[in-house]
Amino acid sequence: MTPSNVKLRVRMYRVGFGDFFLISLATPKGRRHILVDCGVHAGDLGSISDGVADLAKETGSHLSLIIVTHRHADHISGFATCAKQFQDFTVDAIWMSWWDDPANAKATAFQASLTALARKLEPHLALRAAADDDARQALAMVHNVTGQDGSLAAAKGGGAGGRLGSNDAALALLRGAPPSGGPRFKSTPVRHYYKAGDPPELPPDLVDAGLAVRVLGPPTDPKLVAQMSSAVEEYLSMAGEEAEARPLIPFGDRWRVPADAYDRHAFYPFSAKELAQLVQAVQPDALLAAARKADNTINNQSLVVHLTVGGKNLLFVGDAQWGNWANFLFGGTATSRASGLLSESKRLLGAVDFYKVGHHGSTNATPIDAVKALRDGCVAMCSTQPGCYGQAAKGTEVPRGPLLDALRTKTKGALARSDQIALSHSPATRGLPSLAPIFSPGGALYIDYEF
Amino acid sequence: MKAALRPNRIALPTTRPLKVYAFDPSRGRYLGNVMTLTVPYERVQAGPTGARIAVVDYDATNRCFYDPVNLEDTRILLQGGLDPSESDLHFHQQMLYAVVMETVQHFESALGRHIHWRRGDRLAKSRKEAQEEDIWVLKLYPHAMAQANAFYSPQAHGILFGYFRASETNPGRNLPGQTVFTCLSHDIIVHETTHAVIDGMRTYFTDPTNIDVPAFHEGFADLAALFRHFSHKEVLIDAIGKTGGRLFDTYLQPAVTKSASGPGGEPPGPSIQAQIAQRNPLVEMARQFGDAAGRNAGLRSALGTPPDPKDYAEKEEPHDRGSVLVAAVFDAYFTVYLKRTGNLFQLYRAGGGSTRADVPGPLADLLAAEASRTAEEFFSICVRALDYCPPVDIRFGDYLRAIITAHSDLHPTDEDGIREAFMQAFRLRGIVPEDAEFFSEDALCWPTAPQGLLPPVEGLLFGDANDLTRDEANVDGNILRDYARKNARVLGFDPGLPVDAPSFHPVFRVDQNGRLHIDMVVELAQTREVPFEKSAPELGRFPLRGGATLVIPRPRPRDDGRSLAHVRYLIAKHLHGAEGELRTARQREFYERSGLIASDPRGKMRFQIDFAVLHRGF
Repeated sequence: MTPSNVKLRVRMYRVGFGDFFLISLATPKGRRHILVDCGVHAGDLGSISDGVADLAKETGSHLSLIIVTHRHADHISGFATCAKQFQDFTVDAIWMSWWDDPANAKATAFQASLTALARKLEPHLALRAAADDDARQALAMVHNVTGQDGSLAAAKGGGAGGRLGSNDAALALLRGAPPSGGPRFKSTPVRHYYKAGDPPELPPDLVDAGLAVRVLGPPTDPKLVAQMSSAVEEYLSMAGEEAEARPLIPFGDRWRVPADAYDRHAFYPFSAKELAQLVQAVQPDALLAAARKADNTINNQSLVVHLTVGGKNLLFVGDAQWGNWANFLFGGTATSRASGLLSESKRLLGAVDFYKVGHHGSTNATPIDAVKALRDGCVAMCSTQPGCYGQAAKGTEVPRGPLLDALRTKTKGALARSDQIALSHSPATRGLPSLAPIFSPGGALYIDYEF
Repeated sequence: MKAALRPNRIALPTTRPLKVYAFDPSRGRYLGNVMTLTVPYERVQAGPTGARIAVVDYDATNRCFYDPVNLEDTRILLQGGLDPSESDLHFHQQMLYAVVMETVQHFESALGRHIHWRRGDRLAKSRKEAQEEDIWVLKLYPHAMAQANAFYSPQAHGILFGYFRASETNPGRNLPGQTVFTCLSHDIIVHETTHAVIDGMRTYFTDPTNIDVPAFHEGFADLAALFRHFSHKEVLIDAIGKTGGRLFDTYLQPAVTKSASGPGGEPPGPSIQAQIAQRNPLVEMARQFGDAAGRNAGLRSALGTPPDPKDYAEKEEPHDRGSVLVAAVFDAYFTVYLKRTGNLFQLYRAGGGSTRADVPGPLADLLAAEASRTAEEFFSICVRALDYCPPVDIRFGDYLRAIITAHSDLHPTDEDGIREAFMQAFRLRGIVPEDAEFFSEDALCWPTAPQGLLPPVEGLLFGDANDLTRDEANVDGNILRDYARKNARVLGFDPGLPVDAPSFHPVFRVDQNGRLHIDMVVELAQTREVPFEKSAPELGRFPLRGGATLVIPRPRPRDDGRSLAHVRYLIAKHLHGAEGELRTARQREFYERSGLIASDPRGKMRFQIDFAVLHRGF
């Protein structure tokens, strides 16, 4: 593979449940590289460090641009765990989400409250995680918000951990504000924090390469981003307080009676035991709901970028979920949906050549309207690892089978999943179709697509 | 036979007196907070367990049953029920039973018929599954879980009330960290009972097919609870005194005005409790719960914010959106109240009275009577309108049309401008029906059914005020299903699919001239499975429902004994045509937004409102 005959290539590293993409452009002045996210959280295969080593070799440790879609561990953990390796990189520019701008008081306050909520939930979920798979998954979501634990690589140490959670450490490197003596890139990148509609400022290298970028997300309306209203948060924080060690016993033992103190008609048509089970079964799980909402909220803060170069269009959506998509598909509030897709969004999606599947293939991260509007036969890549979140029996598994099937139909088979290749110690997921010939697996570490 | 001849046989009582909190324990015994409800008498077992409701004190957190109260105990009977107490769980059970009984009775007298609890969805499920969903005895769990939550659960056949610790830092009128029982909040009980009542009347209102459906459930439940406040005479008179008759004010004037500013010019502030302005309890919901959550206010209020046409377009969370409906109805209510009491105020002012000062007792009595009567009337209007709603996929605009139609049927002249008040209040908040041509009373009334196209319904039996007998119901059910099949196109159904009649009731109401109106209100529904995306069948399908409500007045008896009943109103949600497409798109969007697409294809409940999660608090 010689750079001269390659115009454009996307490389997807297999790290587990996390995104790590490299876009390489051939320009008259040489090759230029854009890194889109570098992280893994649940289902960590331990390969991210090898991936960063490959990145260094491939790029000569020079990145024109790093795009960080959002602050979840599965998109940024590499900047903490592999911070030593990143110290050798020169970086021209870093783009992050408007929500991650430390100078933005509104966003900072919002993130702080979200992290605080996550920290509050953490001990309660941890208590239950051993015995309860749903709680284990919720705990992983909470850790994804705080960036603590969860990842195998974090446990191995390395990087800038210190007293910071791994997300804080990664953000410190990316924002250029590490604690004294902490890791920095070799150069001082220009940093930008973008929201939907901002005209981005490209590093000169990429301007030369003829790259044009549109920023489609995130929206800054908390209503679109946060699926949790303040009231819900309030209620959930109370649920957190209740779960504290002090159990609440409203009445003493002498008030407890066997079920036969009641007339059987009271339970009709059930037995007392059946009825008790029903009441158990319908207990709402506020902790799980809260964990899920915190997770979704950060996903919706994803920086969504549309890149055009050499006549090809690439769409990287991070983990954007409904609110973020709704903003650019329908132009704002979700109730305006009845009037249909904005013609501009329709045109944009209809001309997409490459789509990075949102949120590792989860059910709510690629709206049907978007699937429908995508160009038939475009190419898609999905970085994922089954068995981390959801349950197939409940139809909540990630990646979600039917959604990926629909995308496979849409792309006419040109859909690559990171788990289609085997790593040295981690086999490919069984039962998947073989990798389409347009993709080329690279060793046991990544999948390439060359345009 | 012998017993029947005994001359001194004692008649059964018609009512049973039971004591309850008018609001919740946090108001203490202040001003009529302890009240006696006289609920319809029935013989009860321990629980209390009656024929249609049963208090089952099961605690899922502590996994135990608590001792049930026996209301037939002579000592309790002689005292007119147990005295209110937060620490006596028997009182909790008594209050829950009493408030639910009273709420049900209110609905029944407004509707002019008996109600039943949820009937299983017979369209989507097998007969056996549907029967398991039928609720015959509604269970009330007063201490169901240690959680700041209360919710109606069709799966658990009842209503679960939680208990929780009040906030340690900002508990309002509660002790820091005290246990707060949601089953002692009058508002919360009425709110949850209303969910159960509506679910019994309209099986498909728990299908969240568009953003208004869950909001309607919440809004309506709040309405029912708030209108109950206006039946508490002592509270009303107090509030009238302290608001100068402006019952809609958020705050009551303090008994003593604030002190003059000090010599140093420091701002005057309240220094004793009588100087602190209290919130008006009439227009706020569930004060203790809100306090315990550290909010220092009720959970929701009837008139939270000034009307804004953008409200309906922008508020999406079900309780917030429901509050728009509540505010619209209360705006109409207060408008009519002011109109009806305008002459009293004029007389009072003409005599030199000022509404700034305390309203004199006799005037306060008159105002309270009017406020209470009007509230009763509005509650009836709101409840009766339910019978005029489409069976599926309700929008707030549909509800407005139902209100206008139901009211003009019985009160054609409308001297007090009730309908006008409703129309303007809804319009001010951006709620307009999407299919009416004009925003006038005529155009807002549901159109009468097309007589030429719809033949009369032959042989329909109208039963009597105690509803239909089982045989009569079987006859009518067959007639109605047959009628729906034969007239599928005109009724808006797909002739190729079965149509079910989930409910039909004779309704007895008296109009403004004292004439008795007898109508049969029929719900018809049909389900079609629609793919989320035609080009991607893998994504699964969702049920799209069509439905029609028929209002059929009882015909005059004919000499030949045959009864030919004509459909007066046909209130339909079509499955096909432009309306069908719009509804499909909207429903798909709603499911997609809620993350229901391609999720849990086997989950029976996935397309139903989950009140447990929906409820932030209750």
